[in-house]
Amino acid sequence: MANQSGSVYGLTILSPIIDDQKAVPSHDLQIRKYLAELPVGVDSPFALAPGTHLARLVVMDDVIYVGMPACEEHLKSKYLVFESNCDGDLESYLAGLAKTVPHHLDAIWGHCVGYPGARDVDAFIGYMKACQIETTFYFAAVNDKSVLQTLRALQTQRAVADFISEHQGHDPAHLQQEFTGFMQKLDSTPAPRPGAGNIERDIKTGGRNE
Amino acid sequence: MSNINGKVYAMNAITPMKPWKTWILRGFFLVLGAVKPLQADLINLSFIEFARWVIIPRRKLPFLGDGQKPEDLQYDYLLFFSNFNGTWNQYIDAFSAVLSKGLNAIWRWSEKFPGSVPVTPFKEYIARLQFDTDYYYTAYPQATANDLKSAHTVQSALESFAKKSEGLGPQQFRDEYLRFVIEVQAHLGETGEAPVVF
Amino acid sequence: MSKLNPTDIQGFALRGYNLPLARYVFLHMSSADRARKLTGRLLGKITTGQRWDKAKPQSTLNIAFTHKGLASFELPDATLLSFPVEFQQGMKDRGGILGDTGLNSFEHWDEIWLSGRVHAWVGIHAQSPSALADCYADLLQQIQETEGAEVVGYQDASAIKINGDFTPKEHFGFTDGFGNPDYLGVERRSQPGQGKLTPEGAWAPLATGELLLGYADEAGELPVAPIPHIFAANGTFMVYRKLHQNVATFRQRLDEWGAAYSGGKEKLAAKMVGRWRDGTPIELAPDRQDPVLVQDPQRNTNFTYGSDAGGTKCPMGSHVRRVHPRDAFGFNGRLINRRRITRRGMPYGTYVPEGEPVSDQDDRGVAFMVLNASISRQFEFVQQQWIDYGNDQKLGNDKDPLMGNHGGRGRFVVQGDEDPANPPFICSKLPNFVELRGGDYFFLPSITALGMIALGIVDPR
Repeated sequence: MANQSGSVYGLTILSPIIDDQKAVPSHDLQIRKYLAELPVGVDSPFALAPGTHLARLVVMDDVIYVGMPACEEHLKSKYLVFESNCDGDLESYLAGLAKTVPHHLDAIWGHCVGYPGARDVDAFIGYMKACQIETTFYFAAVNDKSVLQTLRALQTQRAVADFISEHQGHDPAHLQQEFTGFMQKLDSTPAPRPGAGNIERDIKTGGRNE
Repeated sequence: MSNINGKVYAMNAITPMKPWKTWILRGFFLVLGAVKPLQADLINLSFIEFARWVIIPRRKLPFLGDGQKPEDLQYDYLLFFSNFNGTWNQYIDAFSAVLSKGLNAIWRWSEKFPGSVPVTPFKEYIARLQFDTDYYYTAYPQATANDLKSAHTVQSALESFAKKSEGLGPQQFRDEYLRFVIEVQAHLGETGEAPVVF
Repeated sequence: MSKLNPTDIQGFALRGYNLPLARYVFLHMSSADRARKLTGRLLGKITTGQRWDKAKPQSTLNIAFTHKGLASFELPDATLLSFPVEFQQGMKDRGGILGDTGLNSFEHWDEIWLSGRVHAWVGIHAQSPSALADCYADLLQQIQETEGAEVVGYQDASAIKINGDFTPKEHFGFTDGFGNPDYLGVERRSQPGQGKLTPEGAWAPLATGELLLGYADEAGELPVAPIPHIFAANGTFMVYRKLHQNVATFRQRLDEWGAAYSGGKEKLAAKMVGRWRDGTPIELAPDRQDPVLVQDPQRNTNFTYGSDAGGTKCPMGSHVRRVHPRDAFGFNGRLINRRRITRRGMPYGTYVPEGEPVSDQDDRGVAFMVLNASISRQFEFVQQQWIDYGNDQKLGNDKDPLMGNHGGRGRFVVQGDEDPANPPFICSKLPNFVELRGGDYFFLPSITALGMIALGIVDPR
C-alpha cells in the first residue's frame, strides 16, 4: 500500500484554493499570511494534535515550465499542498486534527474549495480524502516508531550519555544504586513535547550558498 | 516561510512528464518497492528522514466543483517531497556522487532532465523546479535521521540492560554495565539542550 | 587529462616546500597603477612549481590576493563578480557558516583582520634567518621603489626546534603533516592512503580539478571558476587561518583525563587525534607508537576504517577520522572525494617542552593554510560539517575534540571494548583548545594570471 511504510503514513493532500477575483488579498495570499505567522514549535497545531512526525504546507502557485521544447501550460487554480508523515491510521489522524485544532484548520482550509469546516469530523475526513493523492513511492528512514516513542528515545539518549559521563570511574556498588535512581527518574519524567528542542545552533546552515 | 526547521530541510520539486512515460516510472517504483536491496543505497545515505514521490496524472488533480475551473493539462506531473539533513548542496552532491543511476531512473522521464551527472547542470535544473515551503513542522527539530536511529538503539539497549541487571551483585552489575556502555558508545552524540537535567 | 605546466603554477600550490622558516606578509594596495608595477617587479621572483634539480633554494616567494585585493587592481567588474560567492564575501562574513562564533568570532581576531585592509598575502619561506631577512628586504625594496603597496603586518612562523633540530611537530606535541592528497599530474612523493579509494581497495590520485582551476574535478566537470578562463586556469583558492593554541589548558586537561583513563595519557592523546604523538596512526597501531611504521611511507597513511566501524581502535570522532573519513561512510569513499583539502602551515610562537610552565596567553599556534579549487565545497564543508558538527560521523552535534569550537561544553567519546586497557571513556566539558584569531580567503593566481594583472590586460569575454 504505497501510502504506508511500516507504521508511518505518507499523506499527500492537494486542496484547490478558492479563486475569487473579488477577494482582496486573494485566498492564496491569505493562507500564506496565516502560515507565515503560525508557530512551528510546541504551539504548532501539529504539535498539539497527535501523531505528526514531519509535516509541511505549501501554496503551489502553478506547474513549472522547464523551457522549450516542453509545452508551456498553467494550472487553473492554485493548490494548497499538505504533506504529512504521521503515525498509523489515516482516519484517526485526521480526526485527531479536527478535534484538537479545528480553528487552525478552518483558518487555513477555509480558503479552499468545498471545505466543510472541522466541526463535522466526518465531513472533514471526507473532504481530505477527496483531496488526497496517492503517494507513489514512500521512504522513511525510521518507519516503526511513533512520535511519542521517538521523543522518549531522544530523551533517553541524552540522559544515558549524561549518566555515563558523570558516573565514569565510580565504584560498582555506588554505580548500581545510582543507576536504579536514574531509571526511576527517567521513567517518571514525561516525554519532551513535540516540536520542542530547536536549539540555537551556532552555525546558520542549510542554505544553497554553502 | 522557511524550507528549514532545526536540522531538517523541506524540498519540494515538480517536473512535467509526457503521460505515456508515467507508466514506465510507475513500473520502476513498483520494482523499487518490492526489491529491498535496491533501496540499500538510499538507506545508507542516512540523511533523509522521509521522502516521497507522487505522480499526479493530468486528469486526477482534485476537482471539487463549486466554482472550481476543471484543469486541462497535457503533462502528468511528478511531485517530489524530501525531508533531509544537511545543506542543499551537500544533499545534491551526495546523490549525484553515489545514486546517479537511481536518480536517472526516476527523473529521465521528466522533460528536459539533464542527467544527474555532472552535478552543476543537475543543480541548475533542480533550482528551477524547486518551490518553497510555506510552513514546516517537525516534532524533533534537534534530531537528524542518524540521531533518531541512535536514539532508538540506546532506548532498546537501556531497556534490555535494565531488565538484565535486576538483582545482580555489584561485580556482575559492573560487567553488564560495561557491556551496555560498549553497546551504546557509538550512539551518544549530543542533540541539544536537555530540558530536564539528569 | 592535460599535462600540467609546473612553470605556470605557483610552487606553493603544488608541494610543501619543507623549509623551516616562514614569514607571511600582508599588504594593502591603494593605487591600481602602482600595484600593477609592483606585481610586475615581483613576477620574476615568484617561485613556480618547477622541480628543483639541484638543492632547495635559500628562499621562496609566493603571492595571493583577497577579493578586495583583486579589486584594488581595478580588474573589470565582470571578472570580479564572477568569483565564487564565498570568496567575494571573505572569511569574516562567512563566520556564521563556518561556526566562527563565540571565542572564534571576529571580535576576538587580531586587529589586522578586522579592517578589511588585507589585500595580498606574500609567502616567504626560507632555509635560514638570514635568507629570510634578505628575501624580505628585497620585497620591501620593491615595495618602496614602486610605492605599490604598504605592509599592514606580517606573521612569522617556524618549524619547532627540539634539541637543536627542526621537527614537524606542532605545539600540542603531535607530529603533523601527514596525509596531503595526491592529485593527478602533480608530481610529488606520493604514498598510499593520500588519494582516493578505488573499488578494488587501492589508492589512486584525486582529479586535478580538486586543487587547480581549469582541470576536470571529481564530479566529472570543470570546477566553477572566474572569467576569463585564462585568468583562472592553474590558479587555486587559499584559506588562511591564524589558529591560536591554548597549550596550557590542553596539557592540563590531558593530564586530568589521562589520570582517569586506564590506557594512559599518551593513548588518550592518540585517541583524540587519531595518531600517536610521533604520528603513528592509531588505526594500525592501537596499543603503542611504532617508530618503524611511522617512518615507512608505504604504511604510515595506508589504512582504512572498514574493520573498525565501531571506533574501538580509532574513535569515530577523532581528528584524522573526521577530516579524512576514507571508507568510513561506505560507498567506497565516493562521498568524500570532493571534500579533500591540501594543508600547508607552520607553527608560530615559542615552543615550550612538556613539563615546563606555559600560559594560554602566550602567542603561539599555527598559521594554517588550505588550498582547494572550491572554498565552499571543500574547506567550508569540512569546517562546518566535520569539524564543528558530527552528523556525518553519526555523532550528533559533537565537534572535533582538538579543533572544535566547544565553548566549554564539548564532549568526546572514546569508543572502547572489554580490554581493560581500552575501555569506553568520555571526555566532558571540552574547552576551546584552538581559537581562531583571524584570516581570510585568497586567490593564488597562476604565473600567467599574475602577468595579466601586472599588465592590466584582464578582459572577461
